[in-house]
Amino acid sequence: MEFEAVVGLEIHVELNCATKLFCDCPNRPGDEPNANTCPTCLWFPGAVPRLSRQALEKAALVCLALDAELQPRSAFDQKVYYYPDQPKGYQLSQAHLPLARGGNIKITGEDGESQRLRIHHVHMEEDVAKLVHEVEGRVPISLVDFNRAGAPLVEIVTQPDFRTPYQAMEFLKALRSQVRYVGASECNMEDGTMRCDANISIRPCGTMQMNTKVEVKNMNSVRHVGDAIAYEMGRQIAAVQTGEAVVLQTRLWDPDKKATLPMRAKFEAPCIPDPSIPAIELSSEWVERMRAGLPEMPAARAERLVQQYELTREEALLLSAEPETVDYFETLVAQGVAPRMGLHWMTTQLLPAVRERQQNLVTSPVTPMRLAALLRLLADDAINAKAAREVLTTLFTSHETPEAIVQAQGFSQISDRTAFDDIIDRVIDEQISAVANYRGGQERALGFLVGQVMQASRGKANPKVVRQRLLEKLDEAR
Amino acid sequence: MVMDPIFFYRNPASAVAEGTLQGLRVAIQPNLAVEGWPTEAGSRALLGYTAPEDATIVRRLRAHGAHLSGSTYMSELGFGLVNSRAGAALQSREADVELVLDFMGEGRLAAAGAGVYGFKPSYGLMSRYGLVGLTPSMECCGVLSADLGGIRAVLQAVAGGDGLDFSVPEEEAPDFAPQVIDPPMISVGVLAEARGGLNDGQNEAFALASAGLAEVGFAVREVSLPEWSLFEVVHRIVGSVEASSATGRYDSVRYGPRAPGAKNWNEMYLLSRGADFDTLLKSYLIQGAFFQFESCEAFQDACRLRARLVGEVQRLLSEVDFLALPTVLDGVASVAGASILLDATYTAFSSTLFANVTGQPVLYMPPGPATEMGAAAGAAGGACGLQLAGPRLSDGSLLALGEYLQSTGRGGE
Ligand SMILES: [Zn+2]
Repeated sequence: MEFEAVVGLEIHVELNCATKLFCDCPNRPGDEPNANTCPTCLWFPGAVPRLSRQALEKAALVCLALDAELQPRSAFDQKVYYYPDQPKGYQLSQAHLPLARGGNIKITGEDGESQRLRIHHVHMEEDVAKLVHEVEGRVPISLVDFNRAGAPLVEIVTQPDFRTPYQAMEFLKALRSQVRYVGASECNMEDGTMRCDANISIRPCGTMQMNTKVEVKNMNSVRHVGDAIAYEMGRQIAAVQTGEAVVLQTRLWDPDKKATLPMRAKFEAPCIPDPSIPAIELSSEWVERMRAGLPEMPAARAERLVQQYELTREEALLLSAEPETVDYFETLVAQGVAPRMGLHWMTTQLLPAVRERQQNLVTSPVTPMRLAALLRLLADDAINAKAAREVLTTLFTSHETPEAIVQAQGFSQISDRTAFDDIIDRVIDEQISAVANYRGGQERALGFLVGQVMQASRGKANPKVVRQRLLEKLDEAR
Repeated sequence: MVMDPIFFYRNPASAVAEGTLQGLRVAIQPNLAVEGWPTEAGSRALLGYTAPEDATIVRRLRAHGAHLSGSTYMSELGFGLVNSRAGAALQSREADVELVLDFMGEGRLAAAGAGVYGFKPSYGLMSRYGLVGLTPSMECCGVLSADLGGIRAVLQAVAGGDGLDFSVPEEEAPDFAPQVIDPPMISVGVLAEARGGLNDGQNEAFALASAGLAEVGFAVREVSLPEWSLFEVVHRIVGSVEASSATGRYDSVRYGPRAPGAKNWNEMYLLSRGADFDTLLKSYLIQGAFFQFESCEAFQDACRLRARLVGEVQRLLSEVDFLALPTVLDGVASVAGASILLDATYTAFSSTLFANVTGQPVLYMPPGPATEMGAAAGAAGGACGLQLAGPRLSDGSLLALGEYLQSTGRGGE
């Protein structure tokens, strides 16, 4: 019997707000432990939660980015459980009336066809504190860092629409891209600003069965999500085939063992409405105002890149996946760089160099203005490509302008037609067999000759001019 | 050390501030945060807890020049009146105004016990920031005084929007300016079902008080709320679930006594909370946990029922301007140190808890010299004053009504 997976995802996205969800403490979990705390997020007696306006706005942007429908009325509930990572006995979340319902993300399936994966709802919730387990002498102790307690999260709960690990991974990549576009989160699974749990069950292909599902947690990259789903599918299929029952449980992905392992079940109580936080009422005018503030989203932007700059679909999709990348590209073009040249230099030179230095396009000293200035020099034949690559390397460490670097390092290319006639004449005299090959119809031999002249000029000649002049001389000498 | 008979904590500082409340001595309860004061809210679970900052109410009282006399003994987290000394500071003239948490009528019954006015403000009128609460959707600070002017002044100073508590509606600025009362233009509905639990003497006293309203010229008529008995059911279920949830934070990790002998933190929670709370509150919390974890449908039904009761009362208050109800002070509720059961507590507050379910304002009027209510009720074995209830945020009008009745000798001194 053939089986297929039925997978739904629950994705937590940490919003990049300035403050926490219910108080004015800085939303910087990485600071010195417990530096960012107050009576409210420590939940001292008498604390009253105050919903952050910015968190609501960023959460709403996430919903709009995913085409989810913001609800006119939503409210917070108390998810009761007793654990030292939250000091009030419950976590504030939206269980009954979520911020938004519906929504979907389009991906390109393995067959190249467009697929629409549905979202069930999007709700807000607060993050919990971080536990640090240490040993004091020989006594094990647990320390609590409240910096993360109350950090604003949205949880995106999908429909069980996923059948393959590939779909889940593409969904996460697209989700990340769309949320980053609206500037609501960095959405990094590696640093925990995006976390994903998967509910996985299997069924015979072609049936509509809903079988016992297993929740898998602890996947720290998009790759892990794919691996964990693939592993869990295999494990469940093997279990069913040997007549074992799939048990309702939560399992943790172990990236070293490349397997999911069962974890102890957590007690989950029914949620009750929180009586302290007023319900969130969103007017349609407010929703429309937020919608109007949405940037051009990745799919639309890729489409426009194809139209406007004559890029291929693949190139446009590659560029538009990250807002910083495509913003950089469009700034280059606006600065007078030809789109193809800009794309070429970004993908083959700039991005690898930035990655190698563990920077990103926003923090890199090679701003689009500086790279554009360099590429204009190249386009105007003031320098050649080899020199341009060297100047680019220098731009990472120098504050000088590309023009100044070219001057200082003597990269200026000499485009005077006859400046290198002596060298050209000598190369034609010396490279007898190459000249013969060229005359015999081997086009490639011309490239070799250009290279010889360039080398002799120590890179200062303009290869286009050299090529032109070589052709003239070879014709003259015939 | 001799125990102070009234104050759990007596303010060592003397009055100096200026403002509209200058010279007014206000006693609070130790469930309102005052920076540096012990804020134990009558519970062992908060033993040794000192507030790190002022509650909004406290900040506003002080900003208007009031003098905080101290905090009085209170029941555990304000639930019921066991071990409470609410009203005693007024009786002994150690304070002009007292703030007493009103969760099921504690403020009003304490006022009845002390023979003073007791005002339960509209839900959301006062900031809860810094209030060590038990049931956020039901409780509020009651304001008690022998002088309605003192209650008006305090409400004026502390009511209204608070950047620290978004549950106080910003847009509904309350108006406490004195209002002209023209009795024939005002209708008062006497709620028939509220008389159900009265004994003969109380019934007679309440009838006299109602008749007194008509004598002064108000348009008095009987109104009916057939579902009156459901208030108690709704209050018990919703109140206990909220209380169970709100006390989850008292885990003895950062304050409060930590029970010895626990092998892990789960055991520590269980043992500490088991040792911290008194029997009465503990039975209430266990009841709440039952409805939350074992019978959530009942809780959801109670929430729906609550919405219906709120609607029913709104309907009545669209037919009449105010409601008149009896107040029954059952002695058992205020016996210090008595070990009373949950059922008995709810019986004791059955005449007052409706307003905590609906969130509407209520003014408790002690029997006045012009009514024979006090004498009659006294003869029947139980004081019985009048509660006047208005629609949400009619607090100013309700006070005006009370002042008018006082001026005619139909309430208070
Ligand atoms: Zn905080």
